[in-house]
Amino acid sequence: METRELFWSLDSLEIALFYMVGVISILCFLYGCWLHFRKYQNVRPASGHIAWRASIVKLFSDLLSHRTLVRRDKLAGIAHAAIFFGFIFAAIGTTIIFIDYDFVQPILGYSFWKGDFYLVFSLVLDLGGAALIVGLIAMIWRRWIIRPAKLNYDRTYSEAASAQPAIQHWRWEDHVFLWTLLIISISGFLIEGLRIYSEQPEWARWSPVGNLVAQLYAAAGLQLHTADVLRVWGWWAHGVLALAFTAAIPWYKAKHIISVLGSLLLRDTKPLSRLPSEPENAENVGVAVISDFNVKDVFDFDACTKCGRCHEACPATTTGYPLSPRDLILDLRTANAKPSSGLIAIESVIDERTLWSCMSCGACQDICPVGIEPPSKIVKMRRNLVDQGKFEPLLQATFTSLSDVGNSFGESPRKRSAWVNELEFPVKDIREQPAKHLWFVGDYASFDPRNQVVSRTFARLLKAASVDFALLHEGEHSAGNDIRRAGEEGLYHMLAEHNLEQMNAAQSFDKILTTDPHSYNTIRNEYPEYQDVAEIEHYTSTLVGLLKGGQLKVTKPLNRRVTFHDPCHLGRLNGGYDAPREVLELIGCEIVEMPRNRDNSFCCGAGGGRIWMADMPGEKPSANRIKEAASLTDIDCFVTCCPKDLNMFEDANKTTDHTGEFTVSDIAELVAEAVELDRLSISDVPSLLEKIIDKSSQIVADSILYRLNAGLGLHSNAQQPEAPTQLTETTTKSIPAISDKVPATPTGPQSFPKESSGGTGLGAAHEPADVIPYQELHVTQKELRKMEWGALAPVEAAVLPTYDLPEKGKHRILVAVKHVGVLDDDFQITGSDFGALSGSFDYKINEWDESAVELALLLSEKLGECEVVVVTVGNEGSESSLRKALAMGADRGVRLWDDSLVDADPITIARGLAGVAKQEQPDLILCGVQSADLGYGSTGTAMAAILGMPHSASVTDCDWDGESRLILRRELEGGTQHCFSLAAPAVLTIQTGSNQPRYATMRMIKQAKKKTIELVDGACLDDGSSGFVVNRVYKPVTEKATMISDGADEVAAFIVKKIKEVREG
Amino acid sequence: MPGILIIAEHLNGSIARISKEIVGAASGLKEGFEGRLFVVVLSNGDARLSDEMNLEGVDEVINVNVGSDHFDSSIYEDVIIEISHKLQPSLILFGHTANGMACAAAIAARLGTGYASDIIDMQFVDGQLTATRSAHAGKIQQELVFPNKNVVTLTIRGATFRAPEVEGDASLTQQDYEGMDLGGGIEHIEYIAPSTAGVDISKADVILSIGRGIHSPDNIPRFAAIAEKLDVTLGCSRPFADAGILPKAHQVGQSGTVASTCKLYIAIGISGAVQHMYGMKHVDSIVAINIDPNAPIFDAAKYGSCADSLEVANALEALLESS
Repeated sequence: METRELFWSLDSLEIALFYMVGVISILCFLYGCWLHFRKYQNVRPASGHIAWRASIVKLFSDLLSHRTLVRRDKLAGIAHAAIFFGFIFAAIGTTIIFIDYDFVQPILGYSFWKGDFYLVFSLVLDLGGAALIVGLIAMIWRRWIIRPAKLNYDRTYSEAASAQPAIQHWRWEDHVFLWTLLIISISGFLIEGLRIYSEQPEWARWSPVGNLVAQLYAAAGLQLHTADVLRVWGWWAHGVLALAFTAAIPWYKAKHIISVLGSLLLRDTKPLSRLPSEPENAENVGVAVISDFNVKDVFDFDACTKCGRCHEACPATTTGYPLSPRDLILDLRTANAKPSSGLIAIESVIDERTLWSCMSCGACQDICPVGIEPPSKIVKMRRNLVDQGKFEPLLQATFTSLSDVGNSFGESPRKRSAWVNELEFPVKDIREQPAKHLWFVGDYASFDPRNQVVSRTFARLLKAASVDFALLHEGEHSAGNDIRRAGEEGLYHMLAEHNLEQMNAAQSFDKILTTDPHSYNTIRNEYPEYQDVAEIEHYTSTLVGLLKGGQLKVTKPLNRRVTFHDPCHLGRLNGGYDAPREVLELIGCEIVEMPRNRDNSFCCGAGGGRIWMADMPGEKPSANRIKEAASLTDIDCFVTCCPKDLNMFEDANKTTDHTGEFTVSDIAELVAEAVELDRLSISDVPSLLEKIIDKSSQIVADSILYRLNAGLGLHSNAQQPEAPTQLTETTTKSIPAISDKVPATPTGPQSFPKESSGGTGLGAAHEPADVIPYQELHVTQKELRKMEWGALAPVEAAVLPTYDLPEKGKHRILVAVKHVGVLDDDFQITGSDFGALSGSFDYKINEWDESAVELALLLSEKLGECEVVVVTVGNEGSESSLRKALAMGADRGVRLWDDSLVDADPITIARGLAGVAKQEQPDLILCGVQSADLGYGSTGTAMAAILGMPHSASVTDCDWDGESRLILRRELEGGTQHCFSLAAPAVLTIQTGSNQPRYATMRMIKQAKKKTIELVDGACLDDGSSGFVVNRVYKPVTEKATMISDGADEVAAFIVKKIKEVREG
Repeated sequence: MPGILIIAEHLNGSIARISKEIVGAASGLKEGFEGRLFVVVLSNGDARLSDEMNLEGVDEVINVNVGSDHFDSSIYEDVIIEISHKLQPSLILFGHTANGMACAAAIAARLGTGYASDIIDMQFVDGQLTATRSAHAGKIQQELVFPNKNVVTLTIRGATFRAPEVEGDASLTQQDYEGMDLGGGIEHIEYIAPSTAGVDISKADVILSIGRGIHSPDNIPRFAAIAEKLDVTLGCSRPFADAGILPKAHQVGQSGTVASTCKLYIAIGISGAVQHMYGMKHVDSIVAINIDPNAPIFDAAKYGSCADSLEVANALEALLESS
């Protein structure tokens, strides 16, 4: 009967011993597993979107097909398959024997491990064992002889020393794992060979490898009794080693066998393209300590097999940034060694620079054979950094810009659609009119000049194809994709909410289009978490439709060799590889793929907010990519379909000096060429006519109005049409040199300004555009308090109505802030005072005052027990600047106002602030040197004089122990700093640049809503204490560049002359 | 109308340029007043400072010995107020500088004079003093008047008026300050000069800035040499700093440095990307050289040319060689 004796030559004691070893081994194994599970209990439950059934199916499918392992490393994939299946067969085989011997036989009284079953069993196991050995040898060969770079754990970017102990351990376990298995496998065959040699069963050929070994023994003339001895010792050695291996599984590299099941099973269906929201009621924002991670995360840490594929794929690693996804995961694993590790702070494990290096490209998670998802972990850790204010100033400026004006360019929202002005046709506004398609443009495509060209091209293509589309125009804000990946979750939420509100309020549309893969990604995958959103299409798909459908006809196939760069957010994150390629083929381009294409596309380096951060030293990813393209033979064009890609690669093309070889173009531009867009008529004739009629009637009306007014001697406040630009070097009425001026003849306040030469008759000469006739002075004239020598009029602090304030603690710092408006370029003057500047203002806190608030907060943190109070003289809108200061950390706000103060001069303001100071009795008063709008630079100093306090201006550094003297530095012209001490209490005006005002996250802004702002009536301020009265306000003439000669010699001479002029004043 | 009082500033033994410019500004107004032009210098008794202020148009320079050369706002305020009581000027002028901003408004508030700051033009219109200043980043100008104020205090913007070139024949008087306790509020410690090592775009008055339009980074040394010969600061747009070809300190722009004190900005081969313009579009005088007539930099520039950047380099080198 075909079978074999299981415990040959062992007596019952020895069998018992063996079982004991087996039981110990299993207990050890289980204990190791249990320790891991205990660790997993300390973290958050798995969040994210897991489709369980599909996930289980995918798990088995991926493992059995080994598809994730053969990608980009066939050798490793096949060798691993051999090991995997060989090991599984061995494991299954052992289990079968165990079941037969320990359950079926004793309980049911028969054995199935015999006969044909046994023969097939033997064959399968022998082949499996052989495969296992081949696989192991291949892997050993790969690790020791081939030595792929990705298996090198050395870090070039950080302190190698601190990582060394872990690295040594990894190398050790890599080898132990392979060699131990190899020894077990080989010893198994050696012993099988001994058995077959001794027992000579007829069915020996059903164990081909064992049979072969037996024949080798025969050839070597092995003595039978030697064989028996060897067999006993060998059996024990092999058995104990195998059991030891089993016991050790959870304790080192071998644990991936189990943890991989977790990491694969818990895979998010859209990792990175759809980030998880913050859990409700979480103590920390993002991930601050290990236990803030979730179960999937810790499975990921334990599942990593150090294969290095992510390390190889990561653009940050490749270009020398201090980030390797593999090292990140492994460092977290090392830190998470024990159940108590949950308390370990991330900042002690992962360096901030590592976290900020990530470009959110998804290359790592895409290639990981075991489904590890580093990018979302990085975003979670970034969220905590952002909450703590740990990010670079450039990024902070971007946060501020997005939060203030809804775009990352710091441009007024009103300018968002300025790019459409150069189009030959009007572009619909979805807020007013319905359209089939809403084109969500995005920041870069709206504001960046190079990308504005692409936007216009695509707009013209749509027009030529008669596609009905509209924009949100000024209603659109940044979609927020990158800000979310930079970790400012609150700001993302604000932007998404805004855009969704706009879309909800708009007229109807069926589909959304965009040229921006980042906007595409977040609107497609993340906005639906808030509400249902219309389907969104990337413009490459739109173009395919239009080209195939015939709405755009290719009349001039390009016949060019091009290479195409897959944008991360379209390709890897959303599977959009084919549409752009189809477009290129349809327009007659031959696509020459770069070695790293499609899912292996190499990021341009702009994602993850990195475009808003300072470059790290080393090669730029975009340069690396361009060089890859340059290595292709003879391509004409490098094609992109993402605004950031276009910027990055055009730049890189220039700095790597390949502009002579190929151009960088957007796909829309190529399509425009192929359909000969410039030959198509796309302007709307009717609306052009309308424009002409409008313009000419306006000119006629203005001219009539002017003459009427001039003739009637009235002062109109209609704005004059722009004067023709008088381009001479010295004409600026704005800054005349006094020394050669003759005082104008006194004409009285009611006459026309002196520039007008034509008097008041009809047919007067056209008045220059800079002078807007002002209103009758008696309308706006204020009275100033009389002052002369012998009758002084010192300014006194205002006596304000008292308000509630808490009792003063140890220290109190009062900071005066201003809510300043940045005037838009298109504004109108409708009167003589600032209140009548009807123009568009974008408001925010004055940046000098922000520095003052920051200084106050730094001092108060140092002193402890110090209250920071912020005060402003402003209308209701100015409360938002007070709230900003409160969000930064100030304790309380005071707002002083009366409508009569709309034009208040610095003396009046100072009077009011002094009134507040008299009630607050602060130990230190701070304010900015000047305000960004009017720039008087006087309020703080005037306030100090009114209060009779020591003071200093332009202070950059302040050292104060809370007692009677301040050690200060102030900045003089030319950069010299003056160090001195000043008696406290004092008033200081603060210069920017000496500190970085902290960023108020959305969370801090929400919390600040609970702090109080007291409103104080400022009616008593307006008593004539002002220092001046505004007579009139006007727009100075501005000029476009005067074009001087194109001759280099003249230009050079001109430059030298200009330098001389400036230097000699 | 008794006249104009100018408060001079000085540092390290020489008069600040702006004080001389104010003389130029004020002497133009003297004809509107019928008065004298006084200059007061507070110092440790150094007569050379007074000599420096003896410029055309000045009638009297008063050197007040306050026992120190260092600016102390409380001393300046007390002394100036006392002197003003004696001289009774109609106009008190300061520079709009760190020092001026530390005391001018205080004096105005203590006396109750008319007051305005950062003035770029002064005129008499119908017997009234009219002062002009700009606001909202230069987009607007304000014309201010001071009715009922017989005395007006102003701070004057620098690099706006022309300093007289010719010496005057002012009488020079010396005073020792006899008055209240001086000091106490401020105690001088030291001055710290700015670091000269390296480049500081924010302090550069003239910048020669280069961009990718100079064709190849290999051409940078030529422009650097030209900048050195012209004694101007070399600036650049982002790509060169990014590529590490030029130190980051040279980069002008939103992610580089803002050319905050620059008076003349020469941009060669710079197209004028939004982020770059952020760092220099405020500069009064911008000369832009770019082969592309549609380059956005021409919107900010005062003068432009479409000459080729390398040809301009050749021409500059030739010019500098010959001179």
